[in-house]
Formats: sequence, C-alpha cells, structure tokens
Amino acid sequence: MNTTALIYLLTAAAVFGIGVHGLLQARQVLRQLLAINLMGGAIFLLLITLGGGAVGPPDPVPQAMVLTGIVIAVSATAFALALLLRLQDATGTSELDPNDGA
Amino acid sequence: MIEIAIDLIIAMGVVGLALQTILGASVFRAILMFIVFGLLMAMAWARLHAPDLALAEAAIGAGITGALLLVTWRRLQAMDGRTPRVGIAARAPWLSIASGIFAAALIVALGWVSLSLPAEPAAAGELAWQRLPEVGVSNPVTGVLLAFRAYDTLMEMGVLLAAWLGARAVASELRPGALPGPAHAEVPLVGALLSLVVPISLLVAVYLLQAGGSAPGGAFQGGAVLAAGGVLLCLSGRLEAAERSSITERIGLVLGLAVFSCIGLVMLFMGEPMLAMPGVWAIYLVETALLLSIALTLVLLFAAAPGLRRAP
Repeated sequence: MNTTALIYLLTAAAVFGIGVHGLLQARQVLRQLLAINLMGGAIFLLLITLGGGAVGPPDPVPQAMVLTGIVIAVSATAFALALLLRLQDATGTSELDPNDGA
Repeated sequence: MIEIAIDLIIAMGVVGLALQTILGASVFRAILMFIVFGLLMAMAWARLHAPDLALAEAAIGAGITGALLLVTWRRLQAMDGRTPRVGIAARAPWLSIASGIFAAALIVALGWVSLSLPAEPAAAGELAWQRLPEVGVSNPVTGVLLAFRAYDTLMEMGVLLAAWLGARAVASELRPGALPGPAHAEVPLVGALLSLVVPISLLVAVYLLQAGGSAPGGAFQGGAVLAAGGVLLCLSGRLEAAERSSITERIGLVLGLAVFSCIGLVMLFMGEPMLAMPGVWAIYLVETALLLSIALTLVLLFAAAPGLRRAP
C-alpha cells in the first residue's frame, strides 16, 4: 500500500470517529446534523481511497456512488433542517431532550 | 516527497477542521468550520484523482449545504423566544467521556480494518472502463451515472424530489409568519455584482454540463452552480417566496425524473433494457433535464418556500 492511500485511509477513520463522538455528545440538533455529514464525508473518502484513487484514476463505480451520495446527503440534510425548523416552532428550542423517551 | 507533504497537510487540515466542527464554541462557528472542511475535502478529491468529486464537493458539499445550514441557523435564531422554551435537563458529563473513548476505539478499529483491505479498482470498475467506448462519452463517471448504473441516478432524483416534498409538507405545518422574512439592506454595489455573477453561474453551469461527457463535470455539478446563482438572487431579495408554486416550477421540479423515466420506458418497449440510452443525444437531453430539476429543487429548498416570484 502506498503512503497516500495510508494517509487518506487513516484520515477517513479519524473523521468518522470524530463524527460519531460529535453525534453522541451534541445537544443541539444542528450540531448532530454536522456530525452526520462528517461521517458521510469520511465514508466517501474511504470508498474512493479503497477504489484506487491514491495510485491513479479511481474506480468509476465508487466515484459515481459517491457523487450520488453527495447529492443524497444534501437532500437529507435539507429535509432534516426543515424538520428542525418545525421542532423550534413547536417547542421553542432546537435541542433534543436526552431524557425524552428514556 | 512534496506530494506526501501535501497529502499530510490536507489530511491534518481535514481532521483538524472535523474536530473544530464538533467542538466549535458556537453553532455558527461549527457551521463555518464544516464549510471549510468541505473545501479541504475538495482538495483531497483532487489529490485522489477524482476531479468530478472535487467539483461536486465544492459546489454541493461545501456551497449549497453550507448555505442551507447558515440560513437555517439564522431562521432558528429569529424564531428563538417566540415559544416558551421546553426545559431540557443537562446531559451527564461522563456521557461525553464515554462517547470519546468509544469514538477513539472506533477510529483504531476502522483504521486497522481499512488498511488490511486492497486499495485497487474492483472488477465492476474494470468492466466499466472496457465498455465505456460503447456509451459514447469518455468521462467514465458520466458513463457509469447514466449508462451502467442509471437506476441509481434515477432514484437519486427521486430522493431529491422526495426531500423537497417532505420539506414542503413539514414547512406547511409551521405557524403563519414563523419564518422570518428577508432582512437585507440594499447596498448599491449588489446590483452590479449580481449582474456579473448570476450570468456567469449560468455560463459555468452550461459549460459543466457540456464538458461532462469528456471532462470533469456533469449535471450535478452544473445544477449546483446554477442553484448558487438562484440562492444569490434569493439572498439579495431579487426573488421572494410565493405562496404557491407556479405550473412552470412544478414542471421544473419533476422534469429530470420525467424525461429520464420516459426515455427509459420507451427503450423498454423497443425491446432494449429499461433505462438504456438510445444515443449520446439522449444522455445530454437527460443531463439537461436533471440539471434544471436539481438547480430548481436546491433553490426552493434554500428558500423554504413552495415557489418563487420576482420581487416588486
């Protein structure tokens, strides 16, 4: 394995872990959304590096999948943000209650 | 050697910005860090020989997502205090430590596993390269998106439309007047800037669409750039929210899905596999329809409105 692949694989692992931590410890929903987007970005990085991006043009199939994934991520984020506005409108806060439903 | 140094700088920047996104003192700061994270990811894509992804990440991942996050943050702040706040108990501090340890273990495990996997193109990718000349485009990503895995692209348009419909349904439940109106002071130079930037965004979008066949680019990147022009028009108050979508907007929203499905179904009746493309012209026709739908959907999602009209 060449050094470039090594660097980006470890970056992907680190960003995914940071995203998981952010998702678990964030109180504001907007921060949780940011964390989910970070996790998505890390998975995209993993797919492309494992598709051979570090040594030459990567496998076009994962490239197309990641391109699709980027658009799906913005769609899902936009929908989640609409839900967040509704949450704020209904409860007066954009945070989730950790004890709710526990 | 210099390349390894660049990779290291990008990697450290990406990890550092991800940390800042999580730990940012204010949500506003976290969003800004996330946008810069997206831009640095675009550089990582360029280093990984994936310029199509670099364009998409910069335009969609950093640009449109960032604009959506920032505008929602502003709307949330404007709505704050209108409804009595629900009391929320503080979260136990040990939870944060536990999740930190869990995340660290996850990083080690993920790193370990991913390093043991082969980092080379798989059989499907090799096949895509071999059969690419039959499609008639020379950009392998466009070929995969519209010829080899057309279902994915069709369903992706479905998801985009569903997200807009979902956002509409949720927004229609908001109390009247919940969303703050535009609050922009008219700055003399804005008009001149817009008259430059908006036509350029259209030009770049058309270029990206046309280039998508043989060079980095395509409907998604082009659509996002065109949407950026629309977002600017909304931000500067040139376009304002309408109560209903016009018939043109409704057609525009489903155009990509409709043209794509129609061509796919016609080919099915002609005895070809469903979604087979009858020629390069069909690929460009579908891409044009996709571009218009993507741009319109993203602008309407940004405006959080059923439709747009020219401001008086």
